[in-house]
Amino acid sequence: MKLRGYVFSRPFMNERVPQNIQNLVLRDFCNKNNFKYFLSATEYAMKDSHMILEKTINEIGNLDGIVMYSLRQLPEKKSYRYNLIEALIAKKKVIHFALENKYIDNLSNIELIDEIINIISIQNIQNNFIEKIANWHE
Amino acid sequence: MFLNEFEIKQSRIFFEKGYLISEIQEKESLKYISDFFVNATSSYSTNIKINENFLDTLNDIHNSINVEELNSFRLFIIDSMAKDKKFREHYYFLSKNLLDIVVGNELAMQNRVNLSIQMPNDDSSLLPIHADTWSGDSPFEAVVWMPLVDCYDTKSMYLLSPEHLSKITNFKSGDEKSNDLFEYVKDDVEWIKIDYGQVMIFNQSLPHGNIINTTSETRWSMNCRFKSLFSPYGDKGIGEFFEPITTKPMTKLGLNYNFPF
Ligand SMILES: [Fe+2]
Repeated sequence: MKLRGYVFSRPFMNERVPQNIQNLVLRDFCNKNNFKYFLSATEYAMKDSHMILEKTINEIGNLDGIVMYSLRQLPEKKSYRYNLIEALIAKKKVIHFALENKYIDNLSNIELIDEIINIISIQNIQNNFIEKIANWHE
Repeated sequence: MFLNEFEIKQSRIFFEKGYLISEIQEKESLKYISDFFVNATSSYSTNIKINENFLDTLNDIHNSINVEELNSFRLFIIDSMAKDKKFREHYYFLSKNLLDIVVGNELAMQNRVNLSIQMPNDDSSLLPIHADTWSGDSPFEAVVWMPLVDCYDTKSMYLLSPEHLSKITNFKSGDEKSNDLFEYVKDDVEWIKIDYGQVMIFNQSLPHGNIINTTSETRWSMNCRFKSLFSPYGDKGIGEFFEPITTKPMTKLGLNYNFPF
């Protein structure tokens, strides 16, 4: 299976990983799974941009899909996320997430990935809520 | 708190001792996991002596596999565990009654169940005294620990109970080797006595570990972390380490809610 790498040049969901480390992880992931790794596309640093991901999907050609460093790099906005993944799946391609060791190859296995992204988004909002529960009087 | 008498009693024990042990009620899950180990062990090599009694096979595994071979054997089994689609689900089912009391009913579970094999007198796979929180785990995580053989004394693990926890804040040492920390608290730790057919949940933020197994039997145990889905995450995040396993309908709806206009 031939996969195009995809890494980020900005923090994603409160995390930051240097690009060379992201690439190392992709290379290792592909080696372990006997995938052929094609040099990574690097997303723009602009907030919320996924222009490079769009471009990578459009130009996927005869590769089998994309290997993304983490599912946290998918668009946070659900409709946009679905549009991109649907476009990829319509081409009968797959998207792998190296860090989480998961993949989407049809619309039915998007659900778990979606749930995880939603939970992370909520976590990032609710952190000050924890303090209130901790101080709750019984 | 709106807890029934049983829950109150169990919670109190957990606070006091740092762990709870229960008989496994889900016999089907226990059977599934036990059968898995019989099959995985015998498919590793025909040299392994398979006894009629499952416990004898595992207890005596050091007679069929030597310490040098132990790591590749362990990796083989762990790999088979990861490939088995039902394994984690059964692991959850057999600990569900404890999780309901200690953690919650909307849970995240570690992606992989760990396996530990401690042969008699083997010093190559020891876990020195530590609390998982000291290396980045969230204090909201609990560990479900399940033995595949009867465990006692040094064949088991030890836990420093909450009443002695304050002692380690006084620990100061020129050289910070954790063995010294163990020496410092070794009279206060509790060696967990637990049999095959039972399961334990313990608070991983209490110091724990093991030392050389000086019994004549091999210890086999599994461990896996669980946490409340919406509790704070530490270094081990959702997705790459934990996965939601029991998300409820209202949560699913809430996560996907949009105002209509
Ligand atoms: Fe631990």
